[in-house]
Parts: sequence; C-alpha cells; structure tokens
Amino acid sequence: MQALRFEGTGKEYFKIWIVNILLIIVTLGFYYPWAKVRTKRYFYANTLLQDRNFEYHATGKQLFWGFLIAVALFAVYNILQSVFPLGGALLAIVFVAALPWIIWRSMKFNMLMTSFSNVRFGFAGDLKQSYMNFFAYPLVLYIGLALITVVAFFLLKLVQGMTVLSLIIVGIGVLATLAYILYALSFLKKKNTEYLINGTRYGQGKFSTEIELKQLMKIALKAILLGVLLYIAINALVMLFVGLLVLATGGMESLQIAKPDAANILGSLMSLSLVGRIFAGVLGVLFYIAIIYLGTLAVAYYSGRNRNYIYGNTKLDEKITFASTLRTKPYAWIMMTNFLAVIFTIGLAYPWAKVRMTRYMLEHTEVNTEAGFDEYVSEKQKTESSLGDQIGDAFNVDVGIGF
Amino acid sequence: MKHDNLIEGKWHSQGSAAQVDASLHVIDGEDYRIETDMGGRYSGALKELQVSDRLGNVERKIMLEDGSVFATRDNDAIDSAFKKHRKINGFIHALENNMGLIVVAVVVTMVTGFSFFKWGVPWASEKIAHALPQKTNDLIALDSLKYLDKFMFTKSKLDPKRQEQIRTHFREKLVPYGTKDVSYNLHFRNWSMLGVIDIPNAFALPSGDLIMTDKFVELAKNQDEIDSVLFHEMGHVERRHGLEMLIEGTFVTVAVMLVIGDVSWIADMGVGLGAALISSSYSRKHESEADLFAFKKMLKAGIDPIAFSNIMNRLESFGEEIEEKRKQAKGKKKVVVEKKGSSPNDMSDFMSSHPSTAKRVEMAKKYSACFKKGLATCDIVLP
Repeated sequence: MQALRFEGTGKEYFKIWIVNILLIIVTLGFYYPWAKVRTKRYFYANTLLQDRNFEYHATGKQLFWGFLIAVALFAVYNILQSVFPLGGALLAIVFVAALPWIIWRSMKFNMLMTSFSNVRFGFAGDLKQSYMNFFAYPLVLYIGLALITVVAFFLLKLVQGMTVLSLIIVGIGVLATLAYILYALSFLKKKNTEYLINGTRYGQGKFSTEIELKQLMKIALKAILLGVLLYIAINALVMLFVGLLVLATGGMESLQIAKPDAANILGSLMSLSLVGRIFAGVLGVLFYIAIIYLGTLAVAYYSGRNRNYIYGNTKLDEKITFASTLRTKPYAWIMMTNFLAVIFTIGLAYPWAKVRMTRYMLEHTEVNTEAGFDEYVSEKQKTESSLGDQIGDAFNVDVGIGF
Repeated sequence: MKHDNLIEGKWHSQGSAAQVDASLHVIDGEDYRIETDMGGRYSGALKELQVSDRLGNVERKIMLEDGSVFATRDNDAIDSAFKKHRKINGFIHALENNMGLIVVAVVVTMVTGFSFFKWGVPWASEKIAHALPQKTNDLIALDSLKYLDKFMFTKSKLDPKRQEQIRTHFREKLVPYGTKDVSYNLHFRNWSMLGVIDIPNAFALPSGDLIMTDKFVELAKNQDEIDSVLFHEMGHVERRHGLEMLIEGTFVTVAVMLVIGDVSWIADMGVGLGAALISSSYSRKHESEADLFAFKKMLKAGIDPIAFSNIMNRLESFGEEIEEKRKQAKGKKKVVVEKKGSSPNDMSDFMSSHPSTAKRVEMAKKYSACFKKGLATCDIVLP
C-alpha cells in the first residue's frame, strides 16, 4: 500500500485563489469558468501517486456556455421561488426530477476530464439507473416514512385515553421511525455509492465495490449514539460554564440566571464588572471552541468511517485495491481549526484551510500499487457538454466520490 | 557551435499510463528534439508545440503530433525555452507571482466585496425595482394574503364600524399622499402566537395591501399613531421594498455562488451567516427609508411625528412585558436545559431586523421639532 501525496501549498494556492477572485470581480463574474479550471487543475495536478499525477483537462471555454445557462437557471429559480411562494414547491419538484440527470451528466463530464498518468477516467453508469438511485428509491422510502407516521397517528387515535398504552405506542412509533430512517439512509447511501463507483472507469479498467448494508447501518447507529453522548456533554459544558460564572461573580443573585440560555447569559454579562466580563469572555470562547469540537466529532466519525469502509471495499480490476485511514479525532480537529481560521480571518485563510484538508485526506488514502498502472490505456469516449456539471455547481449538488 | 539546452522529463505514448524517462533538447532556442529511453525520437520547430499553461509548480505537458505526451516539472526551463514563441499563456501566472499585485488583489477584493454588498446591491436593486412596472409588485404579492390568512392570521374581532372608520380615514386622508398607480387596501386581521398572545403588528404587501392586527389597533391611543404606522407601511410600498429585497437576495446568492464556487459544509456555515447578516442590514435600511417617508408625509398632512415615537415606545414595552410573562411561565416549570441561541425576539417582526427603537424615536423627535415650528419640510442630516 502506498499513500497519495499532495504537493500544493497554502501560500501558492492563496495567490491563485486571490487572483481568481480579482479577475472574477473585474469581469463581473464571467471569469468563473476559467477560475474553476485553474483551481481544479491545481489540486488535481498536485496529487501524486508514485511519481505520476492527476490532471484536469476541461478548459474555461468548454465550461463557459454551461456556466451561462446554469447561472440564468439559478437566477430564474431564485426569483420564481420568491415570487410564487406556493409555486416554489413546484419548482423544487422540477429540480428533484432533474437531479438524477444533473448527477449523471456531471459524472460523465468530470470523469472524462480527469486523467491519472495520462489515462482518462470515464463514467459508464446509465441514466435509468441514476433515476432509480436518485429518484425512485428516495421516493419509495419517503412514502414508507409517511405511511409509518400515518399508522402511528391512527393507532394513537384508536387508543385515546388509555395513557399507558398510548405511551407504549408512542415509544414504539418513535423507535420504529428512527430505525426506519436509519435503514432508509443507509440503503440510499449503499445504492448511490455502488452506482457511482461501479460505473467509474479508468482507461479500460473497471472500478467495483460491494457494500454491506449492515456495515453502513452500524456506522450510522454508532454516529447517532455518539451524537447523543456529545449532546449531553455539550449541555453539561454549558451548565459548567454558567456555574463557573456564578462562582466567579459572587452568587446567583448578582447574575439572576434563571436558566442557562444564551440570551439570559448575555444579558447578565452586561451587569458584570470589567474583570468579570473579561473572565467570562475568555471562558466563553474556550467553551465555545470545546462545543464546536464536540459537534465536529460526530460529523468526522460518520463521514470518516464511511469513507474508510467504502474505500476498503473498492477495487480496480480485481488487482488494485484501496484503503482510507482517516481517524476521527485528528479529522475533527482539522475540520474545527479550519472553520475557526476561516471565520476569524473573514475568509482569507480559506486557501490554507482547503490545502490542509486536502493534504490530510490524500495522505490518508492508500493504493496497492504492486500490479502497476502501465497496462492501462485511455478508452475512446464521446466528448461531453459541461451543462450538467455547471448546473450542479450552481445548485450546489454534491456529486461524485472525490478522493 | 549549436547551443543545446536539455530538459529532463517523462514520455507517454498516446493514452497510455506507461511512462519512460525522456529528455527535451532545445536547440538554438528555435528547434527541439525529444529522445525517449525506448529509443523514440521527435524533432521539429519549437513554435509548433502546444504546452499547457503554467500553474504554480505543477507538471507541464507537451502534446506531440502523434498524440504522445512529454511531461516535465522543470517549469522554469520550459518557460524560458518557449518565451520567444509566445506558445504559453503566462499572463495569469505572472499575475499570481507579482507580490505587489497580490496585496492589491486582497485589498481590492475586500473593498469591492464590501462596497458591492453595502452600496452596489442596494443601488442596483432600487434602480431595477423602480424600472419595473407596478404590475410586477402585484404579481409578487399574488396570493400572499391568502397564504398569510391560511397559516398566520385569523379573522379580525374588531368592531366592523371601527374598521370602516379607520379604512375611510385611510382612504381619504393618507392614500392621496401615495402614487396613483398603487391601489391601496387596508385589511384587519387577528394574529396570535400559540393561540394565547395577540401580537400587535402591521404589514405591507408590495401590491398595496396593508394589514393591521387587532392588538395593534387596541394598543394605539389615537388616530395619529395609527396614521404614522400606516404611512410607514405605505413607505415600504412606495419605495418598492418587497421587490428590492427579492432582487437583492438574488444578487447576493449569485455573487456568493460565483466567488465560493465549490461550497464545502464549512464554507456553507460561514456563507449562511454572512448572507443573513447582509440581508438584515438591507432590511434595516428599508425600515429607515420607510420611517423617513412617514415623517415627511406626516409633516405635509399636518400630523405630529411624535405619534410615531409614542406608538413605537408602547410596542416595545408591550414586547418586554410579554417576554417577562413568558419567562415567569417557564420558570415555574422544571428547569430544562433549552436549545442554545433561542432569541428573546421571536416576539414580533415589527421589532426584529429593524433599527433600534431608540434611534427611530430620536428621528421622530427631530421631525416633531420641525412640525412644532410649523415647517412642512425638515432638513436633517442623516446619521
């Protein structure tokens, strides 16, 4: 197994990023496609395995028309949604119906535009399957959820008055709903991931994966339990914070905090002495950071474990295997410190944060390179338009598996 | 003697992942020769080659006529070899490596970003909003009242005679101060929170439909106070604030989308917060404009603007009272740790996203001073 390497630096990307923004401003936005190409190329080409790198081949010109159409659609969508509050729901339905197409086109375009060691990727998944995975399954599962809720309410109505029985029904109903949601989300993740990975090609090579529903559900369940524990921990921290404040300021009376709610705390702080306020401020920031860290832990656990599991079960042609070795604590730490850095620099630390996250992710991605890549050759593929990709960009559709 | 400049790299045959070491010889700055370790040989004039643009220090790729590729990381050597032939678009790379320009870019970005959101968007939105026909306003308000009736309001319990009296007064005394292409209609509704607390508030729909809640009429001590708030709501309609908000929102989302491009969840959080702050700043600006409209029209109509200050103060103390009651009611229950960030201001939207009451009251007092001097206009330097 050999880990990927990332050779970009925050300093270098900062310069690329700020010039991109400057040119976007100067051209009133029209430079966006070229800026996107430069950014993608920078991150792809700096990603190395052995001494071979990735490359992004799309050109600004190629993205431009797709970009114009996508921006127009996006503006129209926004305006229409505000103009007709009820018609907005209809538009959302149109968007949901178009989503599988957007994802499919976007995958085709992006894979074709990506190469590793001079060989292009490709995407062979078909549109019908995309509609199955991103439209039909979610719809059926959603109807199932609605049915469960209706049945639960119906039963509750039937036994009205009998408090113990209705409590039991409510309890079972809540548990059943949670279990169902857990199952539904894991099922969707399994199907979507299999569709995206099994459709991906590297030259003549095929990626393949088989994902066990049980494993995904296990991860999701653990993440939920972790989330609950963290929620309790966060609330305990808030209580502790209030307690310390009360101690530091000489008793409950001077603070008049009836309950530890943010508005109350803020209000009471105003009545403190200067020293008290500084103490409370420093303490508040420390606790706030602790709370964000605990919050990111659950996110990091869920996304990290899923990635580890999926990569570990993915192969290229039965001989090249992959591994992801993310660990929850460092992953969450990077997420949190990145977030704080970006916030406190009003965005200026974004390039540094992005490079740092990319490097961490790539350096924890491993490939078994024993079989080598030499026999892979690019397949002939039809050129694709960038429309799907650009619409996906505009509407913030998260497509693909990423590295 | 011929000058032979050597650049080390790798070579791939067309579409193949296999790579062999290769070297590119630049001869007299005009011709090239590529030799691969497999014995392949290419030669020709430099100006016939296509080279990928420089980007940081990433590998450069030269596509040869048979589709094979020579790749090298020796960026500087490539740049100097192809300089004369203008085969490389080095403009952007030059920008990226100009430290002075980077500093300028940071400053320009911050200043433009700030001015764009602070002045550009409101200015352009106002121009666009006023360039559109009044029909647009009717269109965006279409069905809004029905929607509000369904989800927010209940039927007014106000005496129909009182309703008619206020309505007639509004039609005869206030509407003439508005523009003719707006057809104003005053509606009365009851709005209560949790079915217990009646909320005093007034709204304006872009179509010219104004809505007053029962509690509001109850709290108002006299006709002047009602008029002052109705003028304020007319101000929103006349200045086309509904349409403006809509256009501003579109501008902000599109601009943010362009700059951020790929939005990660981290950026999402920051962007969401920023967008909310920006839109509430626009909304505060609109409130001040509507206040100003009201004060000016009140001077013309012979109403003392102090009425606005009086009703504002009463609304605020009513809000505080309700909040106090809610706290007491909650205090009696078991102390439960509440969701963080619950704001005490979910009370009424006449108060939230508005400038501070103190500032608005101060403004009203200044206009009132003009009124008492018998002036029909008032020159006040805006803060």
